[in-house]
Amino acid sequence: MPFDTLSPRLKAVATASLSLCRNRWGHQGLRKEEPIDGSISWRPTYFLKPSRFEIIAVEVDDKIYTEVLKSAAHDIGNFDHPITVYQASPLDVFQNDPRMARIGLLRDHGFGIITVDDEGNARIQHTAQPLAQNILPTRFESDLSGLTQSLKIAFRAAYVTFQTNVGQGLQQAGQIVEGMIGSICSQAEANGTIATSAGSLADKIDLLYQSNHFRQYRGTLGGVRSFVREFRNTASHAPRSAKEAAEKIRNCKDGFLTGLRLAKQLREDMQRAGYIIRQFVP
Amino acid sequence: MTNELKQLAPDRIKRNPDNPRIFFRSEEMDTLTASIKRYGIQVPITVYQDGRHYVLIDGERRWRCALKLNLPSIPALIQEKPSPLRNLLLMFNIHALREQWDYFTIARKLPDVIGLFKKENRGREPTEIELSELTGLTRGQIRRCRFLLDLPEKYHEILARELSLPKNLQTLSEDFFIEMERALKTVNTRLPTAIRNMDTARDVLIQKFRSKTIKNITDFRMLSKMATSIGRVGMQEEKALEAIKQILNPQRKVGIQEIFAEHFEMRFDERKVLLSVDSIYEYLEISIDAEDADEISEELRGRLVKLRTLITRVLGR
Repeated sequence: MPFDTLSPRLKAVATASLSLCRNRWGHQGLRKEEPIDGSISWRPTYFLKPSRFEIIAVEVDDKIYTEVLKSAAHDIGNFDHPITVYQASPLDVFQNDPRMARIGLLRDHGFGIITVDDEGNARIQHTAQPLAQNILPTRFESDLSGLTQSLKIAFRAAYVTFQTNVGQGLQQAGQIVEGMIGSICSQAEANGTIATSAGSLADKIDLLYQSNHFRQYRGTLGGVRSFVREFRNTASHAPRSAKEAAEKIRNCKDGFLTGLRLAKQLREDMQRAGYIIRQFVP
Repeated sequence: MTNELKQLAPDRIKRNPDNPRIFFRSEEMDTLTASIKRYGIQVPITVYQDGRHYVLIDGERRWRCALKLNLPSIPALIQEKPSPLRNLLLMFNIHALREQWDYFTIARKLPDVIGLFKKENRGREPTEIELSELTGLTRGQIRRCRFLLDLPEKYHEILARELSLPKNLQTLSEDFFIEMERALKTVNTRLPTAIRNMDTARDVLIQKFRSKTIKNITDFRMLSKMATSIGRVGMQEEKALEAIKQILNPQRKVGIQEIFAEHFEMRFDERKVLLSVDSIYEYLEISIDAEDADEISEELRGRLVKLRTLITRVLGR
């Protein structure tokens, strides 16, 4: 019997939340209390496969953010299929979480939350994206340090986009880096370090790279050049399989964090070279 | 095949329908899951074979954790299929020696043990001692279970619903029902006219406890004291009756503590003092008769003098 290992109270939560999920994502590939894959050390209460590239898995529990979810997060994030995970709980459990501490943690770690009240009304309290694309807010904020205020604002906007669309989020981060290069080139042209700031982004980076003035920053400039080439491929590449979709998510995440790191490095190096990045939006 | 140790896929194992344990609380399960994730299953579960599957005798929590953690296999000791009574008693005894079940869990299964015992013993019901020996429970535990068992089904449902909640959301506990039932039983025996309908009385007490008008489950002991106050501290029956009726009146927002403090506490305190006075009296009388009466210690002599002064002030010369 499905949900037979759950108490009557949690069985009601499982049934109501499943009905909500079916309305939202359909019932394709529905499995109850079955494993997604042997490589994942967690068996969800149920999961659906709304599309070829997507799995929505739900864990029904009275405890917000169980140890099993915590420990399975790595397996889920590295699985060859993007998996979005929700925890479904009774509404009173959600409301009784002291200072919303566990809920905050669950959300920050990329999980969504569904609640079910005593009347059986299910509601998504926090939406989620595939776990693989989650960048911890605390990590993101810590990576921002060292950037100017306007760069921080631009990256925060890219982060918001990234959470719902990894490709666009990465694209936005790449545009920030592009804008930074544009700003440096304009100043370098104005002070006669380089002959022109016209041309493609690759040409601009090459000009800076070749200039003796930027010799000691060639490491960073080389990094920016490969990043620009890479992120364009990654962001625009349409996956043909679930495996490719999972890979794209992981690559976009790596790309986004690399872009952030390079922006910081570029800003520090150029400051040392006497350049102030004023305008970074291309 | 008996007591053979095997690695079994959790999906080949079924839960035992006779397992008395019905509550698997998330908090406890989560702790066990974390431990199993870290150290694995150190103690094999016990099962018996039933066709192509295996049925649990012991280890449902470990098996559930194995399923949740998607473990490929679990160590299991395979035993012969036990008789129905032995199946049940095995589970009772395992838990009597290890982590105790909820009383309600035991209470729900005790009639099965009694029924199966009767079947195997030509209809003879087990005595409390026999039941204790069979199940590994103490007689006190069995009596507590009986309080729960004797509750009408409606309250079984209320209790089951409460027990399935996480601990921090539970209001009513097994102890609540046990204390309440004890008190109501005493009231019903000593002052039968105080309770017209037991279920109505239960409902009022539950409602007053939920609304915190009754603050503590131990307050029910005061209710018992009120019922026994006529014989023990010479309370007038009408007064005791009236006090209990106030508690059982849903319209009156009054708890047990307040009524006890107002009408009974003094009487019970007086009784305590009386016993102490009797004890002092007896000691002094013995001291007078004894030859070493003069050898009362300075400390006691000092306190007795103080007491004499106080008594004179209270009673007058």
